[in-house]
Amino acid sequence: MSKPKASKPASSSGGLYKAESIKDVAESLGISTLPDNVASALASDVEYRIHQVVEEASRFMRHARRTTLTTTDIDQALRVLNIEPLYGHSPHNPPNFRRALPFSQLPTAGPVYFVEDEEIDFDRVLKEEKLSLPAGVRWTAHWLAVEGVQPLIPENPPAVPREDAHATPGAPSTLVPPTPPSPGKRQQQQAALVKQVLSRELQLYYTRLTASLLPPNTTDPTKRAAALASLRHDAGLQALLPYLVRWVGEGVVGALKDGSQSENDGRVLEVLLDVVAALLENTTLFVEPYLHQILPPVLSTLLHSTLPPSHSRHLRTSAASTLSHILTQHSTTYPSLSPRIMKTLLLALLSPDKSRGTRAGAIWGLVGIGKEAVRKGLVEAGGARVAGEDCMPGEDGGLGDAVVEALKVLQAPSDRPVPLDMRNEADALVVTRLRGVLGDFFAERLMGDAVWVRSILGDS
Amino acid sequence: MSAATPTASTPDVLSPSGTLNSLEPSAGTTATDRLVVEYLRSRGHKAGEELLAEALSGDDKGKGSALTTSADTLVQKLSVFSEKASQPGENAFKNSASIIQELASLGSSSNIQNLIASIGPVGAEEILSLDPTDKQEGFRELESWVDGSLDMYRPEFRPILFPIFCHFYLDLVQFGFKDAAQEFFATFSSSLESMHSATLHRLSTLRLPSHVQSDELAQRFRNEKYTIRMSRSGFGLLVGWLTDGVGGEATGAGEGFSGEKGKRGRAAVMRVVNNHLRFDVAAVSTTAMSPTAWEESTGLLSSLIPQAGGSAASLNNPQAFNTSKGELKLGPAPLSEELRAETEKMLREQAMLDRDHGAQYDVQLMRPTPQAGVISPTTADLLPHPPMFKTMDVKREVEKVRDARKRIRLEPSALSSVDVNTPQGAAARQRALPSICAYTLHDIPEGVPCCTFSQDTSLMAAGFEESYIRLWSLKGESLNGLKSDFQLSNIRDSASLNKVRERGGPVTRKLIGHSGPVYSLSFDPLNGSAAPPKYLLSASADATARLWSLDTMTNVVAYRGHQNPVWDVNWSPMGIYFATASRDRTARLWSTDRTSTLRVYAGHLSDVDCVRFHPNSLYLATGSSDWTARLWDVQKGQSVRVFIGHQGIVSTLAFSPDGRYLATAGEDLAINLWDLGSGRRVKKMTGHTASIYSLAFSGESSLLVSGGADWTVKCWDVKSAGGLPEKPRTNGMVNGSGGRDHAKDHTQDNIETYAALVRLLSVLADFKRRTDLVASFPTKRTPIINVHFTPRNLCMVAGPALPLGPR
Repeated sequence: MSKPKASKPASSSGGLYKAESIKDVAESLGISTLPDNVASALASDVEYRIHQVVEEASRFMRHARRTTLTTTDIDQALRVLNIEPLYGHSPHNPPNFRRALPFSQLPTAGPVYFVEDEEIDFDRVLKEEKLSLPAGVRWTAHWLAVEGVQPLIPENPPAVPREDAHATPGAPSTLVPPTPPSPGKRQQQQAALVKQVLSRELQLYYTRLTASLLPPNTTDPTKRAAALASLRHDAGLQALLPYLVRWVGEGVVGALKDGSQSENDGRVLEVLLDVVAALLENTTLFVEPYLHQILPPVLSTLLHSTLPPSHSRHLRTSAASTLSHILTQHSTTYPSLSPRIMKTLLLALLSPDKSRGTRAGAIWGLVGIGKEAVRKGLVEAGGARVAGEDCMPGEDGGLGDAVVEALKVLQAPSDRPVPLDMRNEADALVVTRLRGVLGDFFAERLMGDAVWVRSILGDS
Repeated sequence: MSAATPTASTPDVLSPSGTLNSLEPSAGTTATDRLVVEYLRSRGHKAGEELLAEALSGDDKGKGSALTTSADTLVQKLSVFSEKASQPGENAFKNSASIIQELASLGSSSNIQNLIASIGPVGAEEILSLDPTDKQEGFRELESWVDGSLDMYRPEFRPILFPIFCHFYLDLVQFGFKDAAQEFFATFSSSLESMHSATLHRLSTLRLPSHVQSDELAQRFRNEKYTIRMSRSGFGLLVGWLTDGVGGEATGAGEGFSGEKGKRGRAAVMRVVNNHLRFDVAAVSTTAMSPTAWEESTGLLSSLIPQAGGSAASLNNPQAFNTSKGELKLGPAPLSEELRAETEKMLREQAMLDRDHGAQYDVQLMRPTPQAGVISPTTADLLPHPPMFKTMDVKREVEKVRDARKRIRLEPSALSSVDVNTPQGAAARQRALPSICAYTLHDIPEGVPCCTFSQDTSLMAAGFEESYIRLWSLKGESLNGLKSDFQLSNIRDSASLNKVRERGGPVTRKLIGHSGPVYSLSFDPLNGSAAPPKYLLSASADATARLWSLDTMTNVVAYRGHQNPVWDVNWSPMGIYFATASRDRTARLWSTDRTSTLRVYAGHLSDVDCVRFHPNSLYLATGSSDWTARLWDVQKGQSVRVFIGHQGIVSTLAFSPDGRYLATAGEDLAINLWDLGSGRRVKKMTGHTASIYSLAFSGESSLLVSGGADWTVKCWDVKSAGGLPEKPRTNGMVNGSGGRDHAKDHTQDNIETYAALVRLLSVLADFKRRTDLVASFPTKRTPIINVHFTPRNLCMVAGPALPLGPR
């Protein structure tokens, strides 16, 4: 049973170096009548010698720890074979071979190549081109593996998704222990998704991370801090981002939906907001495509009517600061972002049937966005008046404080407040305007500081 | 055997030579006829001579009488068949006689007797060899017979094909049938390509008779016996087929030839078998042998195995040689009593100072635990060293003990028992596998042939193709030499010496001195991990090894002696002595205080590519381009072990720290693990897809790490048995695809496709993961040229980052 190689072209039996080439060389040396058998014998011998040199050169290549043969290798080989090396070739600038146009008079001739020899204009080179010195050899160090696991850092190649031969069909459910906030069935499905796309290392990381963050009562605070720090600084989490965003979203929904104003829910929300903040702070992540998923949980927390009372203030302020972070980071590349958020907040502030909590949240949101937003919302759109109507006179609650805080952002109150003098005519005018803009409730509270009132109203 | 009778065979000769005459009526062919006539006469074949003479024209015969002129050509022609005898007329006879003797010495089984009986006068067949067609037929028949044989015999018959192919090809080239040789090669090489691509390529470059005469490999094929291991029953079948033409042949195969032609083909096969093959007939059946076992016992072995001086019996089996050399002293080197006492004192003092309760056990670590079955050397066995010890020696020993205590223990064997996917598996993985820190060199204009770390990891040195060495302080400390302007007479004590020292030098230095690429570097081991090394050795293509002082940052000595590029240099584990390996086929031993060679280790048939000292400094291992590795007795300069099994150049090697194993890596992309005591191969580890550049054992010899041109670092479990998880594949084809692929990458001009190929292969390799390959860590674009374990088992690897795209 033999396997004849049909594909081998017949011409190859003559070797790589053709007898015709020998004849050409002979002609160039003035030997016009070279017998065929001599030429073919010479061609064979030339080829053998070339192979000899190349084999020798390949040793130098191997010892130089390279996989490409260079002209220096050939030179070294010639040197040890006691042949004068071919000077003038350097591996730094390999010659460019160009194919010549087919010669019309001799169509049978094979393709002809020549070395491209570029003409260099010295004037131009001397005047225009700046020669840059190559940077010196330097080294960098990174972890290729840490205790047998390759960390997903930019220096290492991305993990190749590999079919794990050992994984049994029943394994996924045991692979990922239940992640705390999201209940039963969804979690199963989510785990299955995680399994398909993520490497084992990332899956483990995800499980460990979510387990160390929630539930807030049982987890170790230092562990939680470490997890958040990891989210804030580690590279290579991009693949996890959609899962984390979704996890946060579901967590927020779960915590708010139950409506129970327990301490626990407040703490869960706090942690989730921290997670969002950490994700946004991580410079190696590309968050923008997920903004539309990140915003709802943040805004929900901010504007929800009944947050657990003990955490409500803190939750709303941190949600507001996250919101402001998003806006400062992404409003340039996502122009419609700030108008949309503004609109949402104004709606929450001004619509008649909203709860006080929502209004307070909206005001914190405006504070987070900035001075201009506060002026627009509270002063120009009459948000303060609406809020003031909800506040009972003499009450010392979240909404009133929020408005005052917001107004402080607009203009800091003066150090030595001089009260507005009702008898003074100009002052009386200001008070009337103040009542018109902020409503009676806040007008009363602000009347003690004439300078502050004036600056809020826009005339200094 | 009928082919041997002259009357039957001579007419066959005439027809082809006749056609040759008609094709090329030149003087050369008539000379051939004359030679034949003369030859037959000298051998006493009267009938054959007459027949031939009749067939030739009358004037030919007339010329034939004037034979004395062409005696030289006669010698030349016949030298093909000569072994070592000088008289051409009696060569063939001597040959067959020696074969018969040899076969007879093997045993007196009836099969061998048959074979002996069948070996008639060889002369007639040699004439047949002039006809190129019989080679084709013969090989075709042999191949179909091998392929048609029973499954259980096929693995042991397959190795026969290769030497016969080589000899047929060389015969054809030798007789000037260039085209026939080409055709023969093209037709039959494809089936052998997978296992023998390197040799086949080398042979394919031979085109002219003069090449065969001058080429080293061809001459080895001609002058040496190719050893093949075979079971007794398999050998019997082969003999049966050669003599009678039956024995396991597939039905239908070979029916197409006329009986006469088939016989001639078989006769050609037979001639090679008689003249150039040596059968190592084993009692064991082949089914008991592992698929890669043939590598150790097949090939042109006789010259690879060093012949013991004085003993007349030549050893043809590497195992026989290894056992004949007796036992080795592989235990740890002894420590002088004074040094030990001083070290123990120091350890106790330090333990008191640190109030470290764990440290009190350190003293126990000092006592070497005797290993079972290993002889420890005595002080007298070691190379001569200064009798007194220095403070530095004590510090080194103390640090050694501390390292041993603080070492991260790596237990890859824990991985084999658990499922990697479970949490326990992850924990086992953590215990089993090292942390690897990769040092990537950037902006390398040409290649960087070597890179090495000092034992205390304070320094890294890299040798460049531009003939210089660059030294980096990994701790960011400045590397200070001495100022250039000072009077030697002013230096009296260490204070005045410090005055002339440079201040605030750079953290990297260039050492210039060589005039060729620097191929190897080695830091002196005297300070161990207690302090930075004082000296650096380098080996270069300019045939020198140089010693660099890291105190003055200058070249101190150039060691000249090698005639050719020096490929590798390695310090003895106790300093003072070092060894070099060179292209001139020798390894040499030097001491730093002499510029002349102390010992020359000669015996390899090709370049010595790498050299390493055994941890107790009694032995030296070398790896060579003749595909073997050897172990030498450093003092006696004798080879004490030979390791045959690689199917390519041995590119790098490493000793296990416990002194019992040697790991070698070859261009066949395999890593072989050898037991030094017995000289046997423990196992073969495959998985790399390109050249392997460096090997290193972990501190407890349980884990082997390798790095190579496929841009990966791989971790191997030394203790596990290995093998493939799925069903074993057929007949040693394990390294087939890899080998061919490597040959391709030499000529690869588009590096991007190569990269894609490498990726693909690594994915493929993962599917065929061996169980002893415990982990593989790819880098982005960095071939790993050095892997190194610190004494505390942190793994450090180094390599140059390749630029993107073709250069």
